[in-house]
Amino acid sequence: METHSRVLSDSRKPVDDGAIAIETIGLTKRYGKDVLAVDDLDLTVYEGEIFGFLGPNGAGKSTTIDVIMDYVRPSAGSATVLGYDAQTETREIHERVGILPDGYGLYDRLTGRKHLEYAIALKQSDDTVDDLLDRVGLDAAAADRVVGGYSKGMMQRLALAIALVGDPELLILDEPSSGLDPNGVRLVREIARNHADRGKTVFFSSHILSQVEAVCDRVAILNRGRLVAIDSIDGLRDTLGTGSTVTLSVDAIPDSLTLGELAGVSDVAVDGRTIRVSVDEATAKVDVIDRIRDDGAAILDVTIEESSLEDLFSAYTGDVPPKVDASEVER
Amino acid sequence: MTLATIWLTIARKEFADALRSRMIWGIVVIIAVMTSLSAGISLLIPDVEGGAEMAIGGASQFAGLLVPIMALIAAYLAIAGERESGSLKVILGLPPSRGEVLLGKFLGRSGVVAIGLALGFVVSGVVTAVLYGGLPMGAFIGTTVLTVLLGVSFVGIAIGISAVTATRARAMTLAITAYLGLTLLWDLAPNAVHLLVTGEMPGGVVPAWFLLLQGLSPTGAYNALVQQLLLGGGTAVEARIGGQAPGYLDPAVFLGILFAWTVVPLLVGYLRFRRADLS
Repeated sequence: METHSRVLSDSRKPVDDGAIAIETIGLTKRYGKDVLAVDDLDLTVYEGEIFGFLGPNGAGKSTTIDVIMDYVRPSAGSATVLGYDAQTETREIHERVGILPDGYGLYDRLTGRKHLEYAIALKQSDDTVDDLLDRVGLDAAAADRVVGGYSKGMMQRLALAIALVGDPELLILDEPSSGLDPNGVRLVREIARNHADRGKTVFFSSHILSQVEAVCDRVAILNRGRLVAIDSIDGLRDTLGTGSTVTLSVDAIPDSLTLGELAGVSDVAVDGRTIRVSVDEATAKVDVIDRIRDDGAAILDVTIEESSLEDLFSAYTGDVPPKVDASEVER
Repeated sequence: MTLATIWLTIARKEFADALRSRMIWGIVVIIAVMTSLSAGISLLIPDVEGGAEMAIGGASQFAGLLVPIMALIAAYLAIAGERESGSLKVILGLPPSRGEVLLGKFLGRSGVVAIGLALGFVVSGVVTAVLYGGLPMGAFIGTTVLTVLLGVSFVGIAIGISAVTATRARAMTLAITAYLGLTLLWDLAPNAVHLLVTGEMPGGVVPAWFLLLQGLSPTGAYNALVQQLLLGGGTAVEARIGGQAPGYLDPAVFLGILFAWTVVPLLVGYLRFRRADLS
C-alpha cells in the first residue's frame, strides 16, 4: 500500500503543558512613526517542536526574531526564550540558542575553519570543527579557504554550522534555505528534524511555504505584523476546509458505498474502479480506508493529495504566494 | 572568568586580524620612516644646535600629527563595519554582550596600535642613536610610552565613533571630523580665546590658562607632556608663562586629559550602542 506517510506518521505534537521555548506577549515593534513591523503578537512555541514561522517578505518575521535575539528592543510587550527574558537575560539565552540570522554577514578574510573556531571559543563549547563541517556538508578543503571566495550556498552552510555550535536547545533559522540548492534545502530539513528528534526546539522562519510544510509540527502565519493563524498544518486545512483528496483503486466498487456518511467527508466520486474522496478533516482519511474495507472492497492502491500550503497561505494573507525563484533574487 | 575569556577572545581575534591584514606593519613602517626622517632633519639645518633630545622632540611633533590618523583608521570601522556587513548579528547571536564586543575591539585594536607604534619607535631610536652617537634612554622610552598613550586614546575615540554609527560612510565622516577637530582646529582655539580676552595674538610669553587650553585636546596634552619630559618638568612651562607654573599645568593633569579622551568616547559609544536597534 502506498500512501503519503508525511502527515499521517507525524508523531511530534505539542503537549499542552509542555515547557515553553519561546513566548511573546503583546509584542509590538514600531520603527519611527509610520512603520509598524510587529503588531501585538502573542506567540507560544513549545520545547521539542519544529515551529514554522510563515509569512510574505516584510510580514515582521525577522523583526520578531530580532527582538527574541535582542538585536532590537520592542516598543511594547515582552518576549521570553527558554524562560529567560529576552531583554534582560540575553547571556543566558545566547548560551542556549543557536541562530542563523537574516541579513547576516561573515568575515571575508577569515577561513571557514577560523569562523567556527571563533564561534566555538565564544560559546565555550567543546564541538570540533570537523564535526560541524560534516553536519552541514562543507568539505575540509572549502573550510580552509577564506570566506570571501565562497558561494552564497557555502556561506549559508557555514552560517548554519555556526548556529549549530554548542548543540543549542533552541535553533532559530531565519530563511535558512536562501541560496541553497535542492540538496542544501534537504539538508536544512534533516538538521531541523535531527535537532527536534533529540528533544530540542527548532524555530523555522520562511516565506517558502513548501519547506515549512515538509518539516514543521505547527506553523504560525504572520501578515503585516499580525498573527493571522497558528495551528498544525492539518489543523489549518481543517479550519479552512481545503482538505485532502484520497484516491483509492479497488478491485471492485462495493454495492453499498457508505463513505458519504462519514464525518469529515465532503465529496465522493466514482470513476471506473477508482474512488475519489474529498475530506476536510485529517482523521477522516484513515476512516475512509477502513470504511471501504468494511464495505467489502479490497484496496489496491491509495494516494493522498494534500491541498498545498500555498492555497492556505493565500487564503490567510490574501496575497499571491511568492514565487520561490523571484524571492531568492530579492534576498 | 566567563566574562574575561569572552572579551579576551574578541581582543585576540581583532589582533590576529590586524596581523593578517598587515595593518600593524603599515603602522610600523610609516612611524619608523617618518620619525626617523624628522629626527634626522635637524642635522640638515646648519644653524640649529641639534642634540638627540631635539631629534626625539622633532619625531614627537610628527607623531602628534600621524598617530591620531593612524589610530582612527585602525579602529573606526571596528563596529560600524561589522554592523553594516551583518557579521555583528552573528557575533551578538553568540554569547558576547555588546559591552564585551566593544571592550574586546578596543583592547585588540589598542594592542595593534601600541605594538605598531612601539616597534616603529624602536627603529627610529636606532636611527637617532646612529645619527647622534647616542640615545637618552629616559627621554626616548618616555616619548614612546606617551606616543602609545596618544594612539590608545585615539583608538578609544575611534571605537566610540564606530559604536554610535550604523554605516561605514557615517563612521568615516565622524572619524575625519574628529581628526580635523582634535588635531588641527584645536590649535586655533586657544589663539582665538587669547585674542578675545587680551585683544592681541599670543606672543612669546603667554598666560598659564593658554597652555591648559592648548593641552585640552589629546594631541595638545601629548605635546605638553612630551615637552615637559624633554625639557624638564617646570622649566618648559615657566619659560613660556614667565613665572611659577600653577598646579593645573602639572603633567598629571595632562595624563588625566589623555585618559579622559580614551574613556569618555568609549563610554558614550557604549551607552548609545547598548540601546541601538541593529536591523
